Amino acid sequence: MNAAAQRPDLRSFALLSLTAAAVLVLHAGHLPLWLPPPLLLLLAWRWQGYRRGLRFPAALRYLLVLALPLAVVASYGTLFGRLPGAALAVGLLVLKLTETERLRDARIAVAVAAFVLMSALLFGQSLLMTVLVCATLWPALATLAALQPGSGGTAALLRESALRLALALPVALLAFVLVPRLSTPLWGAPGAGEARTGISARMSPGAIAQLLIDDSPAFRVGFDGAIPPRAQRYFRAVVLWHFDGRSWTPGHAALPLEPLAARRPPLRYTISLEATRQTLLPALDIPLRAAAGTRFTAARTLLAAHPVDQRLRYTLESATGYALDPRLSPAERALALQLPAGADPRTRALAARWRRQTGGAGAAIIAAALRLFHDGGFRYTLVPPPLGHQQVDDFLFDTRAGFCEHYASAFVFLMRAAGLPARVVAGYQGGYANRLAGYVLVRQSDAHAWAEVWLRGRGWVRVDPTAAVRPERISLGATAAAQGAGAPWYLSGWWLGLRDRIDIVNRLWDQAVVGFDALRQRGLLTRFGVDPARWQSLALALALLLGALMAVAMALTLHEPRARVDALARAYAVLERRLARHGYRRSGSEPPAQFLQRVATTLPPQPARRLYELSTGYARLRYACTPSAPALAVRDWIRRAREFRL
Amino acid sequence: MSANAPRPASDPLPRLRQALAQVNAVVLGKPHAVRLAFACLLAGGHLLLEDIPGVGKTTLAHALAQTWGLAFQRVQFTHDLTPGDIIGVGIYEREQGGFRFHPGPLFTELLLADEINRGTPKVQSALLEAMAEEQVSIEGETRALPAVFTVIATQNPLDAAGTFALPDSQLDRFLMRLSLGYPDTQAERALLAGEARRTLLRELPPLLDAQDLLDLRGRARRLTVSSSVLDYLQALLTASRAHAEIRIGLSPRAGLALLAAARAWALLAGRGYVMPEDVQAVFAAVAAHRLQPLRQATRDSLAAALLAEVGVQA
Repeated sequence: MNAAAQRPDLRSFALLSLTAAAVLVLHAGHLPLWLPPPLLLLLAWRWQGYRRGLRFPAALRYLLVLALPLAVVASYGTLFGRLPGAALAVGLLVLKLTETERLRDARIAVAVAAFVLMSALLFGQSLLMTVLVCATLWPALATLAALQPGSGGTAALLRESALRLALALPVALLAFVLVPRLSTPLWGAPGAGEARTGISARMSPGAIAQLLIDDSPAFRVGFDGAIPPRAQRYFRAVVLWHFDGRSWTPGHAALPLEPLAARRPPLRYTISLEATRQTLLPALDIPLRAAAGTRFTAARTLLAAHPVDQRLRYTLESATGYALDPRLSPAERALALQLPAGADPRTRALAARWRRQTGGAGAAIIAAALRLFHDGGFRYTLVPPPLGHQQVDDFLFDTRAGFCEHYASAFVFLMRAAGLPARVVAGYQGGYANRLAGYVLVRQSDAHAWAEVWLRGRGWVRVDPTAAVRPERISLGATAAAQGAGAPWYLSGWWLGLRDRIDIVNRLWDQAVVGFDALRQRGLLTRFGVDPARWQSLALALALLLGALMAVAMALTLHEPRARVDALARAYAVLERRLARHGYRRSGSEPPAQFLQRVATTLPPQPARRLYELSTGYARLRYACTPSAPALAVRDWIRRAREFRL
Repeated sequence: MSANAPRPASDPLPRLRQALAQVNAVVLGKPHAVRLAFACLLAGGHLLLEDIPGVGKTTLAHALAQTWGLAFQRVQFTHDLTPGDIIGVGIYEREQGGFRFHPGPLFTELLLADEINRGTPKVQSALLEAMAEEQVSIEGETRALPAVFTVIATQNPLDAAGTFALPDSQLDRFLMRLSLGYPDTQAERALLAGEARRTLLRELPPLLDAQDLLDLRGRARRLTVSSSVLDYLQALLTASRAHAEIRIGLSPRAGLALLAAARAWALLAGRGYVMPEDVQAVFAAVAAHRLQPLRQATRDSLAAALLAEVGVQA
């Protein structure tokens, strides 16, 4: 029977199944929910059968092979693309195990597993993911080793596989640095179905509530100077002018850039934005100039030239004390007072009453609104009761429960109804200041909406009505505010400290590894005199360095068997060869020490004595010392043997 | 008798060298054989001297016993020798009102079994059993032999008429088999010119005693044997088992015997450790009689061939 046609032993199959299960788990995060559980069950069933020496029913396998692509198409509408491809590949990997009856099949299955494993990196390149993918290579390598005839014990197997994995690391590192990088992701633009959450240019009811439960990082801000206090950290992403009774949108009017006069020295900072698939770029309230590659909207929010589908870094200067747009144009005024016709009469009536009472004084109207929110029995909650057709009326007079979105929306409505130009601003507020590393991590859950009111002589002034309802929203964050009194466990010190450290590691990984793009590769390589534009020079560098690595590996490998023949034997062999050149030959069965004595008897007294000493010294080192001779004495003997001349 | 001799307190090693010289002065021109006989004693084994009559086998045995200060008995094996003749018999004694055991010549420290192949298999096996067990069971009673009990057996390999050749299993009981051979001219002249061996033997002073022998045996057992020597020894054993001319190779017991003899040889050289040279020196004496040749080859030539074929690693 051909060796490759043998059935893999149970241990190999167990390792193979473990590998496949690990690959499946790593992919589970982005596979459709219906896929991983049946695949795991299938794998477990197959393992049970294999253990009892059963073959998987062929008819069932054919059925599953046919059903899998159909199910994928049913789920995604296509077989092509990253997600359908991954679902198909993971499914086929498990099916491959159902037909693995021979060593050959098992080896192919390992290769398939490695490929499918690699594809998991298309969905996430975080440090954790990368480490997990590498860790999964371990059982894969152990499977390959176990499939070899005469493989050793499992512990040795795992040890060797770990060693092999470690040995592959320098090669991977080289390839990482030297293989040419593409300036766009290999797998192209993402499908529409997987748009990431983030602030969008439309504020519909509940839009921000979704964000508030998303704990993934939105962006990180590194400040050149001290980190400004939390209450000042408002990051504007989009200014919303137009309200249709349900949603706020930016509106379409083309307005000139609003002039800005800084009242305080500006802060300089760098934002590292996670991919958003959108053009909106958050910036600290309010940037002086647009960064390179970005442009301003009229209201001084930033837009990227293209949707951000890779991490984007941009450096800005912002004024935290300012006068924005002190002279409002009629067009702006019209936009800033727009209200949907006929909507929310009760709110309009309330605003009109305030306007009468205050004589139209802006600050007084704002104060009245904030007092209403503060004292009017309003409640901050992330799960507000549903609102009816007259949204603002319902919210202000009936439910009185909601979060920033509701407060900002109702507040701007009130201002406009009272005759004050106002607009909604959506963005992020607060963020978590990582004091260890000196940056602020802003998560999606820090998404926020607030208002800007135009006051004569002061321009646009930021007002955060949510703060009036629940100051903690600003001082602690949305989740804490929703929780009410008492800091939950995840706000306690140790967890925050741990989170700081984890985030530092992630940030370093992102900067050094994920962020190593074509541009930075060029920068690094040019510093070492390699021209990355010419592929020949890259290939040459790769070949040279890989060659050097191989040489080192080979030297280490070849060194090992020499180490087994100890230094004493090697030195004796050298001496023996030297004597052979003078016609003294040792037959294989002549004991080494005796040979030296025999030669000594034919020599003049001086060298004879020395050779005799070498003989007795050799015998003592070789035969009198167990388990091994003292290194110093051996070295001394080797030296004397080297010095010996006839 | 050794028990009555005053026991010198000094280190036995220098006296061992003196003893060697003393035996060599009696058994002329056979230093290697004498040394091997000493090694055999030190390794705690029995010795088979195989040679034609008159080359000094008995003289060697006498000289050894005398020099080592061991109680000595000699038994001439004939076809009518009975086991009782060497082991002893129980004789009824009227005064005691019972049987009293009269120990035979076996109960001694050094026993010379002359022409062992002339004894019947029954006597041979009785002796060989005693050699293996170091004790004798007579009429249900176990009697221990002296601690240093050693047999030197002789046989004439050429005179086959009326003999019972020792089977291989019994040859194996002897640690070494030696041949003395004719002395060379010089030694023979000295022999002819010198005093009668018998007179010389009578005058030999004991230089060692049974306790010294036990001490030295213990010392030999403690000598260092490095792994490279064991490698070599094992290579010899393996080669003997794979050799084309050998029917049955060396047994593990032969390996142990080889090691013990090599240790004794190293001790005789005054070394604290064993070298491949020691193994080679004793190899023919220890191994040759245990090798079973397939065709014409003699046991001695096989041993030599093995030694030449197996390399010693540096």
